[in-house]
Amino acid sequence: MSAPLLEVRGLRAGYGELSVLRGVDLRVGAGEMVAVLGANGAGKTTLLRAISKVEAAPQAGSVVFDGVNLASLAPQRIVELGLSQIPEGRQLFGELSVDDNLRLGAYRRGRAEREESLRRAYALFPSLAARRANAAASLSGGEQQMLAIGRALMARPTLLMLDEPSTGLAPRVVEQIFGILAQLRSEGTGILLVEQNAFLALRYADRAYVMAEGGVALEGSARDLAADESVRRIYLGAALDEER
Amino acid sequence: MIVFVLQLVVAGLTVGSAYALVALGYHVILRATRAINFSQGEFVVLGGLVAYTIVHVLHASPWIGLIGATSAGFALGWIYERIVLRPAARNGDIAVIIATIGCVYILLYGHALIWGSLPQPLAPFTGAQGQAIHPGGVAIQEQSLWVFALLALAFVALWLLFDRTTFGKAIRAAAVNPVGAQLVGIDVNAARAASVGIAIALAAFGGTLIGPITLVGGTAGTAIAIKGFVGAVVGGLDSPLGCAVGGLAVGVIEKLLAGWLPYQAVDPVVYALLLLALIVRPQGLFGRKDAVRD
Ligand SMILES: Nc1ncnc2c1ncn2[C@@H]1O[C@H](COP(=O)(O)OP(=O)(O)OP(=O)(O)O)[C@@H](O)[C@H]1O
Ligand SMILES: [Mg+2]
Repeated sequence: MSAPLLEVRGLRAGYGELSVLRGVDLRVGAGEMVAVLGANGAGKTTLLRAISKVEAAPQAGSVVFDGVNLASLAPQRIVELGLSQIPEGRQLFGELSVDDNLRLGAYRRGRAEREESLRRAYALFPSLAARRANAAASLSGGEQQMLAIGRALMARPTLLMLDEPSTGLAPRVVEQIFGILAQLRSEGTGILLVEQNAFLALRYADRAYVMAEGGVALEGSARDLAADESVRRIYLGAALDEER
Repeated sequence: MIVFVLQLVVAGLTVGSAYALVALGYHVILRATRAINFSQGEFVVLGGLVAYTIVHVLHASPWIGLIGATSAGFALGWIYERIVLRPAARNGDIAVIIATIGCVYILLYGHALIWGSLPQPLAPFTGAQGQAIHPGGVAIQEQSLWVFALLALAFVALWLLFDRTTFGKAIRAAAVNPVGAQLVGIDVNAARAASVGIAIALAAFGGTLIGPITLVGGTAGTAIAIKGFVGAVVGGLDSPLGCAVGGLAVGVIEKLLAGWLPYQAVDPVVYALLLLALIVRPQGLFGRKDAVRD
C-alpha cells in the first residue's frame, strides 16, 4: 500500500500542561473520506487543532503529511503544504467582507492562483457571490458555513479537515455541503470529517474512527461501523430510529 | 480678534497633528493586540531625538532625519512587541499595562542618559527656523504646512495599507480572529509585531514633524501621550478618522483655551472635556457603539 496522505502516530496533544489526546493513531489516504465520531469531549476537535497546530499543541508522537513531518513546522507552513481546516465555530473574519475572507484564504498562494480560486469559489457558492461586499458577520449561519468552506478551499488543500460542518444547518444545505465534499474527494482531495451526526458521516465516509476519552476506541470501514452493534447502540440509535 | 483666533487654531492644529499621530498609534496597537500602549508619547520624543542625531550630529538633511527616525521607529516597535508586549501578554492584561507604563520611565530616563535632559532645537524641513507665511495676517510657519501635509500623507498611507492591500487585511484578520488567521496561513505573531512597528513608526514620524516647532527631548512625552489618548477617546478609539480628528481637536481646544485662560487652567479643562465626552458619547464621535464593550 502506498504511503497515506496523512499519518498520525501515537499523538499526544492538549492545552499547555494538560493532555487531552493520549496516543491517537489515524490515517487518511488521497481521495479518501474519513470520519471521526465520538461523544462530546472525546477529543475530536483537539485532534484537528493539534494536526493544524492551532490552539492545541502536539506533545508526543508524530504527524506526517504528504511525506513531511509536521513537528518542526509553524501553522502557516502547514497550510502552505496543502492541509486546511474548517474549524469548529467557523472562525471567520467578521468585520471583513466576504471577498476579503475568501482572498485571505489564499494568503499563502500566488496572485494568479488566488483569482482563479476566487472564481471557482463563487461558482460553487453563487449566494456568496451576491454578497461579496457584505461583512462576513452579516451572513446567515448557512452562508457563513459556505464561506468557511470556500475560504478553506481557496488554499487548494490536498487534505481538508472539517469540524462538524453540519451543525445548525438546514438539511438542504447539509446535503449541498456533503455533495461538495463528495465532489472534492472524487478529484483526489483527502477529507477528514469530524461529525456528531454519525448517521450522516457514515453514509458518506469510506472509513471511520470512533474516539473516546482522548483515544481511538474503534475503527473500520464506514459500512462495518454502521452495522456494528455498539456503534448502533451508542451513536446511531436515535438517527436510525428517525430513519424508520 | 479673528486673526488672533485663527492664529491659535493654526498652533492647535500643529500640536494636534502630533496628538493625531499618537492617537492613530493607539488605534493600530489596540486593534492588533487589545492593549493600550502608554509609552506611545515617549516614542514621539525618541523619534525627535533620533532625527536630531541624524540632522545635527551626522549632518544629514532633515528629510533623511524623517525617514531615519520613522524607520527606526518601525524597527523599535517590532522589537518592543517581541521583548515587552508579547511576553507581558502571557501574564494577562494587567501585566501589559504595567509593562507599557514601565517603558515610559525606561525611555524617559534612557533619553536623558543619552541625549541629556534639556530639549534641543531641530532644524525645520525647509527654510530658516520659524520662517512663516502670512495669509491674511495669520502667521503660519512653513514647518506647520509640512506637518499638515505629512499628517494627511500618513493618514492616506494607513488607509491604503489596511483597506487596499492583502498584507494590511491580513493584519486586520489576525487582530479580529487570530485562530482563523492562523488557519489560513497568516503568521499572527509577525502581524502583531508589524502592527506595533507601524504604530511606533507613526509616533517617531510625529516627533520629527513637530520637533522643529516644539523642540525635541525633555519631558514632553507624557503630555503628548495623554492628550493623544484624549483625542483617540473623543474621536473614537476604533475609528482611524476619529483618532485623527480627535487628536487635532484636542490640539485646537488646548491652544484656544491657552489664549484666554491662565496656563495652569488649560490642562484641567482639557481633561474635564474628556470626562464630559466620555459621559455623553462613550464610543467617541466616530466610533461604533458596539465597539465599546470589548
Ligand atoms: N482550549 C482548551 N483548553 C483546555 N482544555 C480544553 C480546551 N478545549 C477543549 N478542552 C478539553 O479537551 C477535552 C476534549 O475537548 P474537544 O473539544 O476536543 O472535544 P470534542 O470531541 O470536540 O467535543 P464536542 O463533540 O463537544 O465538540 C475536553 O475535556 C475539554 O474540556
Ligand atoms: Mg468538537
